[in-house]
Amino acid sequence: MNNKFAPKLAVIILALLPFVAQLLVLPFVNRMDPVIFGLPFLHFWFFLWIVLSPVCTYSIYRIQKAQGRFVD
Amino acid sequence: MTGNSTAFTITAIIVLLVVMIGFVAGRNKSSRSSVEEWSVGGRRFGTLLVWFLVGADLYTAYTFLALTSQSYTAGSLAFFAIPYCILAYSIAYFFLPRLWKVAKAYKFTTLADYAKGRFDSKLLSAIIAIVGVLMLIPYIDLQLSGIQNTLQIAGSGIVNVKMVVIISFLLVALYTFFSGIKGPTYTAVIKDILIWVVMLFLVVSLPMMHFGSWGSMIDTISQKAPKMLTIPTSGPKSYLWFTTASLVSALALFMWAHAATGVFTSKSANALRKNAILLPLYNVVLILVIFLGLLAKMVLPANTDAKFALLELVRVSYGGWTQGVVYATIALASLIPCSIMAIGASNLFANNIYRDMINPNVSPKKLTLFTRSMVFVVIGLALICGLMFPTALVSLQLLGVSGMVQIFPAIVFSLFWKTQTREATIAGLLVGLVVTFTVYGTNSAHGIYEGAWGLAANFVVVAVLNPFFVRNRQANPVTEFLFGDQKAAEAAAQKQEQAMMS
Repeated sequence: MNNKFAPKLAVIILALLPFVAQLLVLPFVNRMDPVIFGLPFLHFWFFLWIVLSPVCTYSIYRIQKAQGRFVD
Repeated sequence: MTGNSTAFTITAIIVLLVVMIGFVAGRNKSSRSSVEEWSVGGRRFGTLLVWFLVGADLYTAYTFLALTSQSYTAGSLAFFAIPYCILAYSIAYFFLPRLWKVAKAYKFTTLADYAKGRFDSKLLSAIIAIVGVLMLIPYIDLQLSGIQNTLQIAGSGIVNVKMVVIISFLLVALYTFFSGIKGPTYTAVIKDILIWVVMLFLVVSLPMMHFGSWGSMIDTISQKAPKMLTIPTSGPKSYLWFTTASLVSALALFMWAHAATGVFTSKSANALRKNAILLPLYNVVLILVIFLGLLAKMVLPANTDAKFALLELVRVSYGGWTQGVVYATIALASLIPCSIMAIGASNLFANNIYRDMINPNVSPKKLTLFTRSMVFVVIGLALICGLMFPTALVSLQLLGVSGMVQIFPAIVFSLFWKTQTREATIAGLLVGLVVTFTVYGTNSAHGIYEGAWGLAANFVVVAVLNPFFVRNRQANPVTEFLFGDQKAAEAAAQKQEQAMMS
């Protein structure tokens, strides 16, 4: 049970994370300070997720691949 | 206003060179031997080529010009494009491989083809084709106005701008007719590389030129116009607009005919999975370019027309040949996507309106020629609409995304929802369109993106009506492929693999 359920849960969390981070939490990140790497905080946050979202997708890919989901 | 002859000449040379490459790309006769070869390259493109093609397809001149003009006028609201262009791929990862597999198995070259097969419904396929073409022609016109704007600044007083626009679009139509998808694919590689080099160059050099460094640019903006650096917390467009605009646009992205064409060129489902991971990287460039609109606000005279923000910024800052190279890049970013859009629209027109509704017995050879010839009709229509009635197009352009997203349940839900029926899907699609246009027409969006209202109505209608029709639903080869033996076979293979591992 646990063996089958854990990867599925991980996939769901990884799939939802970019949506939560880029849409739901906006009111909390909608600020100028601190400026990080020359970007106001809001834009730094978006930049961060340009990198982290593909990482989430890649992790899902690895999990599904390990499960033998891709027969093509 | 007089143009800049150096800039104009360089733009013209680069564009002509690329158009020539477009012709050379299709010198092999097989590239126009069938609809499948001409429109989706025989489904032979690997990960990298799909990346270039879809990248070229989606990051157009309009993207760069419209987003800089939006950030110029509305500040950080323009950054909605970043979550939009990221989430689109997060969603695509889950459905594109499945869509591609069924398209490959049944030789579908359009989304309407798929809907026809999945639901046994020529009506649904025709509606999807009509929506697709209707929304795509105004979108081609946005590209057209992109190239027109560059020419207006670089070439006015030197050439007749309208003539040059017409000639360049006819050249594009001609090479698309000749080479099919191979034309835009090989030229896309050039366009994408130019975009990356030019946009990174602008992002590095413009802040240095005007403010000394990127950091002092941000300091200046935060002192002079701090409101531009955050999303407005009140007013007609705020969080709700930002969130719904991002989400609806993300859902709509791969519903566009040109995006679907790009996807179907892939040689494997895995190449699409990899692209869902790699395509978001394009936004590294996009997010920095949006800042240039803010920069333009600080630098340009207050009476500058917002749609010229980026172009004027480049003209004022560089002039000469640098301006030429930048303008050429923008011109290519408008012409190459146009070619792919023309392929997508012609395909819908020929396959799903002409063949399915008017002449079902057309021979494959004739259909291929008909599809290719439709390029001239599509580009011609776009030219006529764009040059003669530019203002009439505005609402269709604004509603393009909101309209396109309404086919999402028909295309994506149906890949996973076995008992989804054609009646409920058609009703949902139509209600979604009506609601979207009504909300827009009566100005009652209440700070929410128009398409979100339509899509919500669409979902409700499909969910409520579906149970009434489910009993009449009949299985067909496509549903068998999606939900039948295939799945059983996959499950068996999986079990066997697990057994071997343990």
